[in-house]
Amino acid sequence: MALENTPMSDIAPDAGNKLPALRGRISFIDLMQSVGLLAVILLGGGIMSILSPVFATMRNIENVLQSATIIAVVAIGQTFVILVAGIDLSVASVLVLSSVLSVGLVQFQGFSPEIGILVALMAGLAIGLVNGLAVTKLRIPALIATLATMTIGRGLAYIYSGGTNIAPVPAFFVDLQAARILGIPAVIVLTLALALVAQIVLSRTSFGRSVYATGGNPLAARLAGINTERVIIIAFMISGLMSAIAGLLITARFEAGAATAAQGLELAVIAAVVIGGVSLFGGEGNMGSMLLGVLLLGLVQNAVNLLNVPPNWDSVVSGLVIAAAAALDVYRRSYLEAGMRKKVIATKAAKSQRA
Amino acid sequence: MSAVHANAAIELADGERREVLVARGVTKSFPGVLALDNVDFDVRAGEVTALLGENGAGKSTLIKLMAGFYTPDRGEITVDGVPLQADPAAAHRIGVATIHQDAHLVPAMSVAENIMLGRWPGRYGWLSIQKQKRKARAAVARVAPHLNIATPAGRLSSADQQLVEIARAISEDSKILVMDEPTTSLSPPEIERLFRVVDDLKANGLGIVFVSHWLEEVFAIADRVTVLRDGRLIGTKPISELDHDKVIRMMVGRQVHVTKHKPRPVGEVVLRVSNLTREGVLDNVSFDVRAGEIVGMSGLVGAGRSELASCVFGIDPYDEGSVEIAGTRVQQNNPKAAIDAGIGLVPEDRRRQALVGLMSVRSNMTLSLFDKVSRYGFLSNALEDEIAEREMRSLAVKAASSKVRVSTLSGGNQQKVVLGRWLARQPRLLILDEPTKGIDVGAKSEISELILRLAESGMAILLISSELPEILSLSDRVLVMRSGRISAALTREQATSETIMSYATTG
Repeated sequence: MALENTPMSDIAPDAGNKLPALRGRISFIDLMQSVGLLAVILLGGGIMSILSPVFATMRNIENVLQSATIIAVVAIGQTFVILVAGIDLSVASVLVLSSVLSVGLVQFQGFSPEIGILVALMAGLAIGLVNGLAVTKLRIPALIATLATMTIGRGLAYIYSGGTNIAPVPAFFVDLQAARILGIPAVIVLTLALALVAQIVLSRTSFGRSVYATGGNPLAARLAGINTERVIIIAFMISGLMSAIAGLLITARFEAGAATAAQGLELAVIAAVVIGGVSLFGGEGNMGSMLLGVLLLGLVQNAVNLLNVPPNWDSVVSGLVIAAAAALDVYRRSYLEAGMRKKVIATKAAKSQRA
Repeated sequence: MSAVHANAAIELADGERREVLVARGVTKSFPGVLALDNVDFDVRAGEVTALLGENGAGKSTLIKLMAGFYTPDRGEITVDGVPLQADPAAAHRIGVATIHQDAHLVPAMSVAENIMLGRWPGRYGWLSIQKQKRKARAAVARVAPHLNIATPAGRLSSADQQLVEIARAISEDSKILVMDEPTTSLSPPEIERLFRVVDDLKANGLGIVFVSHWLEEVFAIADRVTVLRDGRLIGTKPISELDHDKVIRMMVGRQVHVTKHKPRPVGEVVLRVSNLTREGVLDNVSFDVRAGEIVGMSGLVGAGRSELASCVFGIDPYDEGSVEIAGTRVQQNNPKAAIDAGIGLVPEDRRRQALVGLMSVRSNMTLSLFDKVSRYGFLSNALEDEIAEREMRSLAVKAASSKVRVSTLSGGNQQKVVLGRWLARQPRLLILDEPTKGIDVGAKSEISELILRLAESGMAILLISSELPEILSLSDRVLVMRSGRISAALTREQATSETIMSYATTG
């Protein structure tokens, strides 16, 4: 090794030294992911505020954020699963099951609201556990295993509710929807808090590191002593729990135990997570970018509504935006790499001139 | 440069030896690394040009440029005057056939289907099975006439898979064959057969680029040698002007000294393997490794050495027998239990088995050190930095920083990251499976010295290696494996290339 010839410090400047606060917490590529998405969101927002007088109102923005919370909470769980290179299709079914249980146990069986909520959350964890066991112990591909629990979960929700909405809801849900913290709707604060906790778990705990390792290279993770099966099972359980929490949010929003809600939500969630820069191959992504992906999808939905796009065209528009966002992401990455390459050549050239 | 060319031209016959591929002033960089810096290189028809250099010297980049995977940032590569474009299919069309380091065959498809992969003969999307067989048979006949073209590629030995790759790479229009470390997974007789094929192709006027870390092979087959170091061209010389030491000096820029080790006092038994049996893989294997002892494990590829390491380290289950560390039985089929018991493993295929490419150097180093760098499940930045920076310094890991992705490092530096993980852990037994495979000469000797240092500090070392010099210079005892059994246990005095090879092949 001719190490003496090329001291480490000369190969490339260590960006980490300039941003001590960010060292080890966020990489340059991650930062660009967020910045790029943010730019698209701001640009789109700017165009929308010209096209529609309603868009930039406080009321509308709050509405966009509030409706994004449900997808966002589900997406937090889904991110864990996709990071371990899995996928969870059962999220929308868990959501509606949690929703009907949280109201039904009070309405039908006469339990206290606390018990209803607790059972709803336990149901989410249980389905997550079943998914995780099916994927790790039975070695059923995640797509198939969660397709099965998705169908079963929705079926159970229909059977329990009789296929209709259950109302009225306990006062807790009405209060939750109305509550504000520092003037911001409580559900938005709750969502951000969940995302923050999830990001801290991912970036600062050994479990989070194990999640990235298991998704990035399961064999190497196992040989390093990580119990990869347990990591995968816990990821699915987090997804189940998050979906159940989202079920409570939808109960609050619709003021009903909603068995028929959230049709196709799992695909919207997966789209948002992927737009948010979480690699479907596993091992790559973070909560911040992911939330921006959710926000972008929410904005598109809002734009479609505000601009009076004919109802049957709105899904076409949404699909096109998903494709455009994904393509943009790919181009931005390759542009970024090209930029870094030029910088290296320039550094080298300057060095050899000095020499 | 030009003087060397003139010399060579005089020695060689005439117009036959024309330059087919010419690279001039080629520069290529990647984020953080200048991989090639203003390199001139050429390949002549009917000659084998060996491309040498330490890992990270730029060989792989040059190969990928020739194969059309990248475009140079500056400079140009032409084949018979036609500029090469960044398109592997176009590169193949104008005559560059490339055999990459790892096999790219579809295991479930037949030899014939693999050879015709992507250029299936036929019309309007319909396959002509007859034509496919005919063309495949013709291609196979050139390099591997012993193969049945109907056999699924997955059932072939790695040597035969390689020949199939060559058959696929070479078409009627091929002018150049680029072989990136083609002998890594081959046994000596297989290498000999490969070399006969190469000689044959050379005689037919193909220009051949040969990359290998084995200088014996280079001297056996090359006509000319081109050496790269740190992305720069060091020189191109005819093989007749070179010897072993000269080539190594060109590669490393200094003399590599061979480690001669002194016998060390050995301590208590650390690892005791008793009657380990795994159906069809291991047959009643028993041996000990003591503290401070280096036990070399030799044998041919497929003798069961890596499989033994897998059973000891808990990657694979076994049917009978036991593994004990300092008298305590280690739970089987559980790497975590093996690590907790004090075993470390540097696996053979570091990219697949040890490293998470998307993660930083630092995170890869601390991947099995969570207990040392975290409190109550929370990782400590400071502790992680401390360990990563300490090990990077002590191993002289060449990387822009500990925050860069480990996949951006060269093979030797990646291996040092894996070693660093275990140095920080200080296991009682360290199993090293081909620790210097695919690693340049300089890093090889660094790693050898490190192994000796670890043994001196009292660590028990099980060294699995296919390189006899490595086994002979480091081992206190040598175990030879053959067909899942230990066929010989040799003392340092008994172990010679001849005894080892004889037990490996006939024991």
